[in-house]
Amino acid sequence: MPKPWKKKQSHIEVSEGGAIPTRNDWGLFSAWRIAFFGAILMVVCLVFFKPDPYLDILKFLPDGILVTFKVTLMSIALSLVFGLIAGLGRISENRLFNGISSLYVEIIRGIPLLVQLFYIYYALGQVVNLSAITCAVVSMSICYGAYIAEIFRAGIKSIPEGQTEAARSLGMTPFQTMRYVILPQAVKTILPPVGNEFVALLKDSSLVSILAVSDLLRRGREFAAQSFDYFEAFTMVALFYLIITLILSKLVGIMEDKINVD
Amino acid sequence: MSTDQIIVQIEHVSKYFGSFKALSDVSLDVYDGEKLVIIGPSGSGKSTLLRAINLLECVDEGRIIVDGTNIVDPTADINKIREEVGMVFQSFNLFPHKTVMENVNLAQMIVRKRSKEEATKISTELLKKVDILEKENDYPGKLSGGQQQRVAIARALAMKPKIMLFDEPTSALDPEMIGEVLTVMKKLAREGITMIVVTHEMGFAREVADRIIFMDSGMIVEQGTPRDFFEHTKNERAKAFLDKIL
Repeated sequence: MPKPWKKKQSHIEVSEGGAIPTRNDWGLFSAWRIAFFGAILMVVCLVFFKPDPYLDILKFLPDGILVTFKVTLMSIALSLVFGLIAGLGRISENRLFNGISSLYVEIIRGIPLLVQLFYIYYALGQVVNLSAITCAVVSMSICYGAYIAEIFRAGIKSIPEGQTEAARSLGMTPFQTMRYVILPQAVKTILPPVGNEFVALLKDSSLVSILAVSDLLRRGREFAAQSFDYFEAFTMVALFYLIITLILSKLVGIMEDKINVD
Repeated sequence: MSTDQIIVQIEHVSKYFGSFKALSDVSLDVYDGEKLVIIGPSGSGKSTLLRAINLLECVDEGRIIVDGTNIVDPTADINKIREEVGMVFQSFNLFPHKTVMENVNLAQMIVRKRSKEEATKISTELLKKVDILEKENDYPGKLSGGQQQRVAIARALAMKPKIMLFDEPTSALDPEMIGEVLTVMKKLAREGITMIVVTHEMGFAREVADRIIFMDSGMIVEQGTPRDFFEHTKNERAKAFLDKIL
């Protein structure tokens, strides 16, 4: 990706256009198109030519998609907060803050998400009474926050020390330096891997179906359990996940391009 | 020298990098309005000493008093002191995500709490002074090294500092750009601000300096007026250094 400011000491000529290679080469772009439109076409064909049971499945699943969206979006928002705090902790000179953050990252990354979900829902459920969806969002955010923290840390570290020195020498506080100088630059390095985490989070959100959260996967299971159409139900579930994931990864890609242009 | 008031007082300062002694019991007084040029071979501690004056390097022993405040004291408000001490770096360190104007405005607005209009007015004046106003809306990546360094000088001046520190401001520049930066620095020198400059530009030192400090192995081994230093130094190490570069 072209990052003109990295070459500090050279004069960069900006061309009229066309010379800067785009992130998506043609192969990747067409693969995305084939997968995306192929999946949609398949759903349409299945529903059209074999309405029983596909049309019923199509009517049954949207509730689950909404729940999947809800869990994913809330987890993304919360995991960003956890990730930013822990990421700043990992680079902090404050021993306590740094220690707690590092411990959080190490422990959470060492325990499978499914075990964390069980732990928060069943083990902590004996102490505090939380709804299944709250548990799902909390454990997903804690888990992904730990991964995102490492991305934040690496992104912040990638900004040259001279930037901090320049900002501090102008009298900015550490907070102001982070807020106005470091983070705006780090976002460009941070966004692509964080976007990938979002896509992974969306897919992992299917794990919450075992906490009796009626997400997309669980709705599919419920349908199959009633009608015994396991093949048909899970085919549709898989296609829906594929479509949603492809849309999300496209959105992340568009966002990256936008940020790089700005 | 405009007055005899001491503005920076360095007392018995030592600094270690691991077991390497970067500064060894350095004492130095800088007077208000003085143009001080620090020269010496690389690794002699001159940049470390300069960076210690606004605490980009903390020192292990001794005191540094800037404008009446002992900055080595952990209770000192370091941000307050840094507002009074401008710094220009070898690698410019402009903020690449901000335009030239925004670079000069930023600290004025968030540190000095000036309004955008007020800051822009001051910035415009300063950018005119360093002769780069026509690039106000460009990003630093589009500027040459010399242009970036002039913006960096304007950015530091915008805080209206009492002291300006220059850490090898021309060392990263192509030869044809050194002149434009030195011209700006000479202009600045005539205005009476205190300047402490680490440089290898002997012509600049000779022309602008009130006093030259020669450092070697973390110590000040010789100091004097440019004439005394360049023509009559008795110090062997300073002589050897001058023979090599002149």
